[in-house]
Amino acid sequence: MHEHAIQHEVSWHTSVWPLALSIGVLFLAPLSFIFYFVYKNPMISAITLGIGAPLTLISIIGWVKEGMEDAHGYSEGHSVWAMPIFVVAEAMLFIGFFAAYWATRLTAPVWPPAGTPDMPVTIPLIMTAILVASSITIHMAEKNLEHEPGSKGGFLNWLIITIILGATFLGLSAYEWSELMHKGFNIKTNIYSTSFFSLTGFHGSHVLVGLGIFACALIPAFAGKVNKPFVKAASIYWHFVDVVWFFVVSQVYFW
Amino acid sequence: MSATASQAITLQSKFSLKEWIFTTDHKRVGVLYLVGSFAAFFVAGIMAMLMRTELASIGPTVTSNPTTYNMWLYFHGAAMILGYQIPALTGFFTNYYVPLMIGAKDVAFPRLNAFSVWLFWMGIVLALLTFVIPDPPDIMWTGYPPYSVITPGNTALYTFTVLLIGFSSIAGGVNFLTTIIRMRAPGITWNKLNIFIWCTMAAFVIQLIFVPILGVAVTMLSLDKYLGTHFFDATAGGTPLLYENLFWFYSHPAVYVIFLPAVGIIYEIVATFSKNRIFNYKGVVYGGIWGTVILSGIVHGHHIYVSAIPDWLVMIQTITTLLISIPVGLLVIGLVGTLYKGSIEFKTPMLYVAGFFFLFLIGGLTGIPNAMSAIYIHIHGTQWITGHFHYVMAVSVTTAIIGGTYYVWPKMTGKMYNEALGKLGFLLFFIGVNITFFFTMYIGVVYGMPRRYYDYAQFPQIEGIQKVITFGSYIILLGALVVLISWIHSLIWGEKAPNNPWGSKSLEWTHTQSPPPQGNYTEPVKVSEDWNPYGYGK
Repeated sequence: MHEHAIQHEVSWHTSVWPLALSIGVLFLAPLSFIFYFVYKNPMISAITLGIGAPLTLISIIGWVKEGMEDAHGYSEGHSVWAMPIFVVAEAMLFIGFFAAYWATRLTAPVWPPAGTPDMPVTIPLIMTAILVASSITIHMAEKNLEHEPGSKGGFLNWLIITIILGATFLGLSAYEWSELMHKGFNIKTNIYSTSFFSLTGFHGSHVLVGLGIFACALIPAFAGKVNKPFVKAASIYWHFVDVVWFFVVSQVYFW
Repeated sequence: MSATASQAITLQSKFSLKEWIFTTDHKRVGVLYLVGSFAAFFVAGIMAMLMRTELASIGPTVTSNPTTYNMWLYFHGAAMILGYQIPALTGFFTNYYVPLMIGAKDVAFPRLNAFSVWLFWMGIVLALLTFVIPDPPDIMWTGYPPYSVITPGNTALYTFTVLLIGFSSIAGGVNFLTTIIRMRAPGITWNKLNIFIWCTMAAFVIQLIFVPILGVAVTMLSLDKYLGTHFFDATAGGTPLLYENLFWFYSHPAVYVIFLPAVGIIYEIVATFSKNRIFNYKGVVYGGIWGTVILSGIVHGHHIYVSAIPDWLVMIQTITTLLISIPVGLLVIGLVGTLYKGSIEFKTPMLYVAGFFFLFLIGGLTGIPNAMSAIYIHIHGTQWITGHFHYVMAVSVTTAIIGGTYYVWPKMTGKMYNEALGKLGFLLFFIGVNITFFFTMYIGVVYGMPRRYYDYAQFPQIEGIQKVITFGSYIILLGALVVLISWIHSLIWGEKAPNNPWGSKSLEWTHTQSPPPQGNYTEPVKVSEDWNPYGYGK
């Protein structure tokens, strides 16, 4: 044991994925945005996107794969502690956007401002129901993982159902956006549309990230590899996204 | 054992680029932060020299294009704060010290840690693009709308620089808070933590709460400019004041993100070179450090006293701002009390501490009139403010960064530095900053010279003083070069450092070699009941 410890010390731990991912992110977001919107050059923007998107994706896959193999014994269940800390930062992001919404709304002379069509009521209610249901299903997945460590069947099924629900939510959101845009209500229309699209869009991007995290748990699970703390952390994130939706839906649709 | 140990040393001394750029080891990630942040410091320092040279005489000196001057101003501010100070303190020092001080073998998420440092480097790359694009940002580091929305300058570059470095900070915060909560070695209880660890925790709590707000603010800026939203568009019901509020809601606490780890380093140096316990440990931690955190979120209004916020709010903000002197006072008293009856040794790091005391005193005292809105409205936007904040957050914090680097140097490199060169560098730096920033404050408060001006034809009487200020800034440059030379000198010719050259009681000096190997400690750390990182005189 002692001998092993000494041998362990002499080789420095390395991973190529952090650097690769950061380069991927640089190309994917800042460079693509700047070439497209600032320099109006869709050609170069497509190239940077073409470099950034695959690099980001490959890096994430490599990262997760490496994490599952866990050569250096990194996985010690810290993610269950880290996720709530991260959620604090995420919550502050939403608070920033909500602050903007409240500040502009409470000082507006008339509300809703000119150019706002009748807002849909049914779809957001369905979306709410779907997201609440998905929070329950991920909880079921987690429970299955805890109680029956041997069989992954129950866990997998509940996780897949959660992913389907999340994807349906996004689909409905996209449908609703396109309906509103047909009515001439887009991000540029007025101060309400500014907040409406930024809040729903920002929340939607979190749903997408949540689905990405689930995919990182699901794909290795097919091969029989499950990292319990990771699933737990993913579940915490998903519940957070669900809770935020209550704020979004109550503030921008039903107020 | 000794054969294996010597093998470990030979393996370490072999340089491998692959082991550096793909590293997940916290010490090496720390060094990457150090290199990146000093690169930013260097380039932003060049900008400062260009600006000072421009201001040395009335009329065009270096450039006849005020937009170029604006670009320097933008880069200097943004790179000094986001690229140098925050990453040096919450990147380099945190990475190097935290796992060592708590007896851990690494951080909780080593690969996330490596991702943080590279994301920060990508932010630096993006910031450096300022010099190659045809439309560099010209919006200061504050990026106030409406100008930042209508300028032909590249506001998106600013937005994404902030977002990359901001996300790097958040990842760092999640990582280090988890590390400190979960990975302390057996026996290292909360009230036995090094002050620096507490300062780091406090800084990261502030980062986690407030960085997202800055992220939101700059995102809205680019949404407004490039996607046509109306957040800051007064003609459509938005308000530029929203940006100012969101921006300073982060950027004032950012001062404490910088100040707290800096003061933490100062504490480590003071305790080690006074061979003394921390005076009023619990008061410092729970009153000084956490008191600062609690107040940090309710004082940002003093940055926008003149931006049409209601009078009653101005009054409240004056009071809350003045309240900050209480926790900061506790921190200073703790430092002075630690010196009291200590056996003080004036090695280079301790000289920097002495510099910190003086510079922070000037910076703190000149802050008091600024906090009072009735005085502030008369000195708003003058060079007085420039001088004040350079004293309080630029140069006093830099003494902590450079002094702290000298302090950790033997542990980090395994080499001793040359004391004479170290002291010479400090002396030049100290003289330079005082000439520069004393007279900067002077022309602001006595003549009303405004800040950010490219030229000052309406103030012919201060041209002489401006030359003195510029001369002072050249002395700072000289000091910085001597510091750099002393480090290079040490790397090449330095003597081999012992494991604990300072005779410190802290874990990183007593329990591991210089430099520490992968995994930090050859055996898992366990400390005894009566162990204390400041247990001198036992």
